[in-house]
Amino acid sequence: MDFRPFFIIGDLISNGLVGAVVGLLCALTVGVGWPMFVVMILAMLLGMLVALVLFFPLSIFFGAMEVMLPTMFSGMISGMVVGMWCTMVALSPGSGAFLGAICALASLMIVWVLNKRLQGPQLCVDGGDHGG
Amino acid sequence: MGDEVTRAKWDKAAAHFDLMAGRGAEERWKPFKRELFSHMHGRILFLALGTGLDIPTFPPGMTITAIDISPKMLAQARPRIERYDGEIQAHVMDVHDMSFADDSFDQIFTSCTFCSVPDPIGGLRALRRVLRPGGELYMFEHTGSAYYPFRIMMDMMTLLTRRVGPDMNRTTVANVKAAGFELREVNNLFLDVVKTIKAIKPAGERKTLGGAGMEGEPRP
Repeated sequence: MDFRPFFIIGDLISNGLVGAVVGLLCALTVGVGWPMFVVMILAMLLGMLVALVLFFPLSIFFGAMEVMLPTMFSGMISGMVVGMWCTMVALSPGSGAFLGAICALASLMIVWVLNKRLQGPQLCVDGGDHGG
Repeated sequence: MGDEVTRAKWDKAAAHFDLMAGRGAEERWKPFKRELFSHMHGRILFLALGTGLDIPTFPPGMTITAIDISPKMLAQARPRIERYDGEIQAHVMDVHDMSFADDSFDQIFTSCTFCSVPDPIGGLRALRRVLRPGGELYMFEHTGSAYYPFRIMMDMMTLLTRRVGPDMNRTTVANVKAAGFELREVNNLFLDVVKTIKAIKPAGERKTLGGAGMEGEPRP
């Protein structure tokens, strides 16, 4: 991960914002008793869509792939969790936004751990499949 | 004749390119680019100079031949070219249709280029042609991911982004191999998506324009 404070704070803001917006939208739209599986799928797609829209202003300040991928992942997870939650219990918009932000920040931590595992030299001589 | 569709796409993007890519992304990638470009020496070709965002990360005193398909991008790059403490000769040229002689360069550098080249393996073969045997290819690229859910996300994003700019799901490492280069190092900088690639043109290989005989054609 990037240890420069500006980018750490930027990652937290970007993902927290996406999660909060997705959670808020889920809390405003999903009703108790709606089919959970359908809501889960739609809310995940909503999360990625919100991340995509917010990516454009956020990327100007905080980066490209380093913003796009974590926020899409965060949006997806936030949408899934808050969307399913709202089919069971009515959430206030504030609670939905808070829960979405928490889910997004947890998702960001997962991306940071994944990144830690994947970062670094992959090979020194030709041979093998290196993906990408 | 060149690729008019690609040229038009990047001409259109030129006016706003620095707004989207010139701050956050560049600042984030600057240390890695500076390290990669610190290997510059000899006769250097820089592919897809764009608006010249990479120029501040070049080591001083180099003589660099740079190409880009878009004249409007290069027009935006002009002030940065003039500020560079060295010499940059910029040409409007399509990588698929380069006018340089075989084996013209000791090194070739790319920066976020092969997400956008329409025929990536063909473009890489063209680079191999103008690189001398034993010459080095250094790339700073973003590619697709081998891991879910990022792989799906990048496939979905590509449906949108290729209309206005780059593809997000290229298999550039495999493409480098398919174009006949020998990989020396792949260094993941962010997940398995942003990476630097070092490869060489095998020394003593026969001149095979078009890379005949290559095995395996990864998806472009």
